[in-house]
Amino acid sequence: MPSVPIERHQLDNGLRVILSRDDRAPVVAVNLWYDVGSKHEQPGKTGFAHLFEHLMFQGSEHVGKTEHFAYVQGVGGTLNGTTWLDRTNYFETLPSHELELALWLEADRMASLLPAMSQEKLDNQRDVVKNERRFSVDNQPYGTWDERIQELLFPEWHPYHHPAIGSMEDLSAASLDDVKDFFDTFYRPNNAVLSIVGDFETDAALAMVRRHFGDIPANPKLPPPPQVVLDPFILGGEKRLVVPDQVPLPRVYLAYRIPVFGTPEHDACEVSADLLGAGRASRLYANLVRDKQLAQDVAVFVFPVVGGAAILTAWATARPGIGHESLEAALLEEIERLAAEGPGAAELERVRNLHHAGSAAALERIAERADRLSMYTCLFDEPERINREITDYTSVDDERVRDAVTRYLAADNRLVLTYVPAEAADGAEPGPDERELSA
Amino acid sequence: MSPVSTLRPASGAPRPYHFPAFSRHRLSNGLTVWLVPLPGRELVNVHLLFDAGAAAEEEARAGVASLTARLLVTGTRSLDAAAFAEATERLGIEVSSESSWDSARAAFQALPAYLGEGLALLAEMVREPRLDPGEFERLKAERLGDIMQARSEPGRLADEMFLDSLYVPETPYHRLGGGTPETVAALTLDDVRAHHAAHYLPGRAHLIVAGNLDPDAVIGEVEAGLGGWTGAGPGHREISPLAVGGRRIVLVDRPDSVQSELRVGLPGITRFDPRYFSATVMAATLGGVFRSYLNLRLREELGYTYGAHAGLDLRRAAGPMSARSAVQTEVTAPALTELVGQLDLIRSSDPAEEMLREVKDFLIGVFPLRFETTGGVAGAIEPLAIYGLPDDYWQTYRANLEAVTAAEVRQAAEEIIDPAELLCLVVGDAAKIRAELEATGIGPLEVRSAE
Repeated sequence: MPSVPIERHQLDNGLRVILSRDDRAPVVAVNLWYDVGSKHEQPGKTGFAHLFEHLMFQGSEHVGKTEHFAYVQGVGGTLNGTTWLDRTNYFETLPSHELELALWLEADRMASLLPAMSQEKLDNQRDVVKNERRFSVDNQPYGTWDERIQELLFPEWHPYHHPAIGSMEDLSAASLDDVKDFFDTFYRPNNAVLSIVGDFETDAALAMVRRHFGDIPANPKLPPPPQVVLDPFILGGEKRLVVPDQVPLPRVYLAYRIPVFGTPEHDACEVSADLLGAGRASRLYANLVRDKQLAQDVAVFVFPVVGGAAILTAWATARPGIGHESLEAALLEEIERLAAEGPGAAELERVRNLHHAGSAAALERIAERADRLSMYTCLFDEPERINREITDYTSVDDERVRDAVTRYLAADNRLVLTYVPAEAADGAEPGPDERELSA
Repeated sequence: MSPVSTLRPASGAPRPYHFPAFSRHRLSNGLTVWLVPLPGRELVNVHLLFDAGAAAEEEARAGVASLTARLLVTGTRSLDAAAFAEATERLGIEVSSESSWDSARAAFQALPAYLGEGLALLAEMVREPRLDPGEFERLKAERLGDIMQARSEPGRLADEMFLDSLYVPETPYHRLGGGTPETVAALTLDDVRAHHAAHYLPGRAHLIVAGNLDPDAVIGEVEAGLGGWTGAGPGHREISPLAVGGRRIVLVDRPDSVQSELRVGLPGITRFDPRYFSATVMAATLGGVFRSYLNLRLREELGYTYGAHAGLDLRRAAGPMSARSAVQTEVTAPALTELVGQLDLIRSSDPAEEMLREVKDFLIGVFPLRFETTGGVAGAIEPLAIYGLPDDYWQTYRANLEAVTAAEVRQAAEEIIDPAELLCLVVGDAAKIRAELEATGIGPLEVRSAE
């Protein structure tokens, strides 16, 4: 695969700027990562990083409410922002002759969000975010799976213990003072990475960046990163939870603490996840879905996060008439078999080629390239990692897979989370009091 | 004082962009091959289309098109399901096969080095699928499980119940394209074999190849894999999209829901409608951009929802036009009133000039981004192949959008959105919202069961 060209700059205020030219189409992607996510939230303020992200679209000193979207969509651009455990990102993709518009919009809110903030905007977006939570979590079958996994895999003091969407109670408590503190602390140029990918002239783009971002003051006292080190790293036993829910079919989730994103051990876990769950020739699909017909569907993936531990999750939905006990046993059997046998050469070739094609497909989009450049810079200060993705993955061999599965996908590091149809749960009501917790 | 300049920066000089050039070839067996060379790309996309979608199936066999498409990827005469999955995935290829109302599509994406092998496997799959009895029973059971799962999700339940309440039962459009539990349960492997034999033939088929390719080599590979194959299917049937009619509320009870799913709409237009461009601008103004009537009012002003949208489901016959949102239970009735109010607004007044400009500039400006990926380019050829749109469709697309006037937007809304025919479908906790919905006065209310 041709490598992604990378040019790196830094402004005096600390803003890191990554440029990557590609003039095949007259479009350009602008992407900003702020090094703040839900892991930076304080107790009682869960969900605030995400609520704040919504407020960033409510206007700034020279941009009115809803105008940020209107400016970008009005030139044929696309845009959004997302918040996750480690970070918050903001991005625009637009016709290349409007590059400066995107830079101005991002700079204006980095420089001057607060003069435009109001209680009314906060209340409105609080309602929107609560509806986002209802939509994606509370009103969806199995909708609480990821927050339950985080809660059970991480101890209460750990910042991954709570979900990025936060609790209704904490969202209700968010105040304008919180907005001001959060902005002044984290939304500073020395806590951000700006990536620009696409059709631009380097000198002109850099001049625009300096013009709009150059005078925004740094925060000389960025807070230290949150405490995330887990000792011992391994969970130290099996945890189990059964959740009665409005679901028609049982679903079993297995979740494990695995080494953080960006390490060779994490790469080995990612390859293991693909051996188990990527494609119709994967072990779980072939054996649980096709041959034994215990599962309706299967999925295996990793959370690429860096806060002390990352997560590998496998799930399988039971076929009608199949109990969750036999499904769980079959899932565990496949993982044990992978640990014992290791993958064959043909199996490794399969996931490597799928990964190669998948990576090429993702990187066709300039917005994805910009996001990954920001990610590698923000997390590792090393944007060049974008050009190592394929070789890092391909270097994982039979031995590293076996080692990773044996060490991390093990019984003493395992969470088993099972959703069962509420009516079949012997009259149990869904709710926190019915959790079966052990270990 | 802010360090940032106070004014929106001036735009640079736009660089022109054109939809990629393509060529069309007809093989002697009738197969149309569309080639879109995109030099320098890392990938190549292959889409093989048959007139074998839900519109081509008999109504008594509803769901057979979908099940046939899904069964294709479970092997060929020479390769069983496991061997076929391994043979394709070892090339980094995941073959997909699915059907919509107006076509069935088998497709894959590959690094260029594997295009030839991928084409050969795809040809074998559509010509000589294994159609194994065990795999048939498995996929049928999975499909029934999928439908059960979909009905537990409020959004997908609302989509299904909206169609079922909107169209008369004699119209195929009253159901999902994949069939109902009753029709799927009755399907046999012989039904699938018959659907495949009748409709998976080269005579009306289209093969689209876009990406980093050598046109002569591809034509040679296509001739080798699909050239000796002959026959043409009967194609699709005519569908009369008759609506039940009347302005009314249908409430589907889903106890303990913390949000209500709203769908408001009626049969819209066909893909061939001369008002296509004005209707597209109208739908985007109503619910296709962030500052659309619906999103601005329900989300940004009232905070009732995470988002509100509107769109046209364009098919050969008139598919539904709908406005949609998920709102918190407590505001279900006022949200529905607001939603209906925005539909009234767009049909009773011209959009403001500034709003029209914003919507048109979005649809026109986003044009190059839609074709950023090889998959996006291959997908853009599909409506030309399926609906016979003219070869210069994408060349004239932006000018056609630009020509739409405010009066035409209002006229499209006035003609398409008949307030006397609006169906308001609500999925939510009936015990909490029924009385308030009746009190809105929007129309008579009927409670329906989800099953």
